[in-house]
Amino acid sequence: MKGRRITVLLCENSAWKAWIDAAGQGPDAAKRLEGLDPVKLPCTGKVEEGMVLKLLENGSAGVLVLGCPKDNCTYVRGNYRAEKRIASVRAALREAGLDDGLVRLDFLSSLDSRKLLDIAAEFRASVLEGVRQ
Amino acid sequence: MITAVRKPFAEIAGMLEGSRKVLILGCGTCVTVCMAGGEKEVGILASTLRLANEKEGRRMDIVEATIERQCDREFFDTVRDKVAEADVVLSLACGVGVQFFGEVFPEKPVLPGLDTKFYGAAIAQGVWAERCSGCGTCVIADFGGVCPVTRCSKSLLNGPCGGSQKGKCEVDPVNIDCGWQLIYDRLKALGQLAKLEAVRPIKDWSSGSHGGPGKIVKEDAVL
Repeated sequence: MKGRRITVLLCENSAWKAWIDAAGQGPDAAKRLEGLDPVKLPCTGKVEEGMVLKLLENGSAGVLVLGCPKDNCTYVRGNYRAEKRIASVRAALREAGLDDGLVRLDFLSSLDSRKLLDIAAEFRASVLEGVRQ
Repeated sequence: MITAVRKPFAEIAGMLEGSRKVLILGCGTCVTVCMAGGEKEVGILASTLRLANEKEGRRMDIVEATIERQCDREFFDTVRDKVAEADVVLSLACGVGVQFFGEVFPEKPVLPGLDTKFYGAAIAQGVWAERCSGCGTCVIADFGGVCPVTRCSKSLLNGPCGGSQKGKCEVDPVNIDCGWQLIYDRLKALGQLAKLEAVRPIKDWSSGSHGGPGKIVKEDAVL
């Protein structure tokens, strides 16, 4: 059953730190993160196709994956692996007749809290309100 | 190992149309290793089907299970209850496993979720290539350990055809090496080029698939 909450899978080496920073930036920032459930991962290379599909199946309205900038992965190629796996998930969603925009991958550093807030707000608007930029 | 790839989703969804209770049954051996029909792939397919069914408003109860092998009878014992409850079983085993399931459970409809490809090796992570055709009488001792039956697109036993160009096969000059170039290079490296002077007689293909369904009986193992 599709819910109104979004799961955000965050690499602990970059995006998770940006999330902590963003969440502490006051009420406006906190409001922009409402409805988003953060999950800390050791690396976006941990993200697997079945995991993302299971999140959607179990009620997440969308899944946002945020990892380290390209060529700056602690585990060297984790974010490249995530990129291929998310492409595979999006293909599976299209095959199932669903919108592949329910899943998005982006890359940011631990200093990119503003960028994280923008991506999160944009993704929520896209998934929950059908607003595409 | 036996290699396979998953059938297109639309084909699988079409086969399952009208089914109310489906067991997706993975196989824990070859197709797990080649990432086509193991526990993870069962989960991915099940989730995708459930999402598609929810969107279309279809009622279908999907159960997931994976057993060690679908080519040995005893491993099915662990899923007998799940099989009994299912209208239909979608097997993610190779063609051997799908058929053997049907022999163990003759009353239960079984569908193939994979397209079985070949006997292959993992030549790189995520890349599998054919190495054996199961012809029944192995000849690679005379060819430097490279199989002319499998590696030559025409299964030639007495040298290359005219379609060998720059080490590649005319069937697909980008992706397929000329098997006979491989044989020559290997024998040369081994100092065994003289082996190529022998003329091979016509091969008896009846020991393989051309001789009908094969059977092996190992008397000391028979109860």
